Amino acid sequence: MRRVWFLLALAACSKGPQADLQYIKQARSAGAEWALVNEQASAGKLTATYVGSMHQWLRQQIQTASSGLTEPDARYAIEMQALLSQPDDAAPEELRAHVDKLKQIEDSLESA
Amino acid sequence: MNPLELTLGIMTAVGGFVDISELVFAAKAGSAFGYALIWVFAFSTIGIIVFSEMSGRVAAVAKQPVFNLMRHRLGLKLGLVTLAASIISNLITCAAEIGGVALVLNYLTGWPYLLMAVAMTALLIASIWVLPFKWIERAYGLLGLFMITFAVALVAIHPPWGQLAGGFIPQIPHGLSTKELLTFGYFMVAIVSAVMFPYEVYFYSSGGIEEEWGPKDIMTNRMTAILGMGLGSLLAIAILSNSAQLFSGINVDPEIPGSAALEAAIPFGKWGLVLALLGMFFAIAGAAVETCMANAYSIAQFFGWMWGRHKKPWEAPRFTMTWIVLFLAALGIVLTGVDVMMLVEFAVLFSILVLPLTYLPLLLLSGDKDYMREYVNGPVAKGLGWLYFAIITAAALAALPLFFLTSGGNG
Repeated sequence: MRRVWFLLALAACSKGPQADLQYIKQARSAGAEWALVNEQASAGKLTATYVGSMHQWLRQQIQTASSGLTEPDARYAIEMQALLSQPDDAAPEELRAHVDKLKQIEDSLESA
Repeated sequence: MNPLELTLGIMTAVGGFVDISELVFAAKAGSAFGYALIWVFAFSTIGIIVFSEMSGRVAAVAKQPVFNLMRHRLGLKLGLVTLAASIISNLITCAAEIGGVALVLNYLTGWPYLLMAVAMTALLIASIWVLPFKWIERAYGLLGLFMITFAVALVAIHPPWGQLAGGFIPQIPHGLSTKELLTFGYFMVAIVSAVMFPYEVYFYSSGGIEEEWGPKDIMTNRMTAILGMGLGSLLAIAILSNSAQLFSGINVDPEIPGSAALEAAIPFGKWGLVLALLGMFFAIAGAAVETCMANAYSIAQFFGWMWGRHKKPWEAPRFTMTWIVLFLAALGIVLTGVDVMMLVEFAVLFSILVLPLTYLPLLLLSGDKDYMREYVNGPVAKGLGWLYFAIITAAALAALPLFFLTSGGNG
């Protein structure tokens, strides 16, 4: 129980990478969804309208996550910017490379 | 019991079961914890069946709406608190549904999201104005059966059926860190809330009065609640299972409602995508109607106004004005530009906080011999009712700490 109270207090006033973890997860997931959408689109399984809308919303998710960061110069912030600089129809492998880097940072923060 | 009416009633309940919150949390739960949260959906479904059956029985026997009886049974003060809590909860939920349906239209047409929200609100208001109650309920519920696409997609992707079946056994996965355990706890609470939204019960029981149920309809009520909601819950479980199979291994935690539609596109291509989006459209639009009408029913019943869609709109002017104003208020929330996913989070969080308050009067009324005579709660309904009341009370107490500790389930 004491541990829960400690975590609760920590959540309320934390800053830095731990506080940014939720945004890193959000951007990592949105990037992975973007890669999946592009992969399925190139296989002809999605309508162009759906793909266009998903690109818009996923980009917005990454943008929101990026602007919520408390450490805008951190390595994960640069990865998010790199994701945002990709064109809508970027290759899934390219997007997944950034997603994997964000995932590595996320895992290291979670195990810290 | 008319078999055709019964079948239509059950199918309507199936198609109308899933709403934006269930869609979002089922997809997120599957990607985050695999099949381990299926049992929470199954368990919560029994809860909503228990309370829906009770509310339908109260409507059939007492022939009075729940909120009217509540005021007499609980007194004005406690009744007002309950009314206020349910209005806020339903209004946030209605806004989330309008935002959700506008998003789905955006995926289907590419037209601007906020414009779609305005157009859909106008369309929903027009549909309630023009259609009689039975048609409102049936049209959205039956068209929501497009959601079956998700169940067919699950069969097509050949999931590990043994593991999936294992998900029905209550469990907490081994080897989770403290943070992951808290996130698992948050998902449990959120799923209970999303499945047991109070608006479903108020809409269902008010519908019973609209359709003039009597004691002869008690068996129909029971069958509709058990089969309709039970089968409807399988659609939510299919969404969760598809997500576990397709998303969890590739770092995707569905962040927007449109991601769920990929579950049908991956096995079936464009047709699967469009059918899934249509299912989502009608299911969420139906939920928007239900949340708004549930609110209007509650207010009109509490204050003793003339109410019901069996009357012409101008024959119940205060009731008509109430549901129109509530729709516009929900649209106003969407037009502030607040993120739909945030609205879903708030709807689920606020609902679980007020859930005990909204279900307690129903539990008391259905157990009251003066009102219910020989149709009073039996030992099974009574036992299950109080068990679920204890569970939702515990969930309500845990909801806020879990929300903050896990950043709304984001770890």
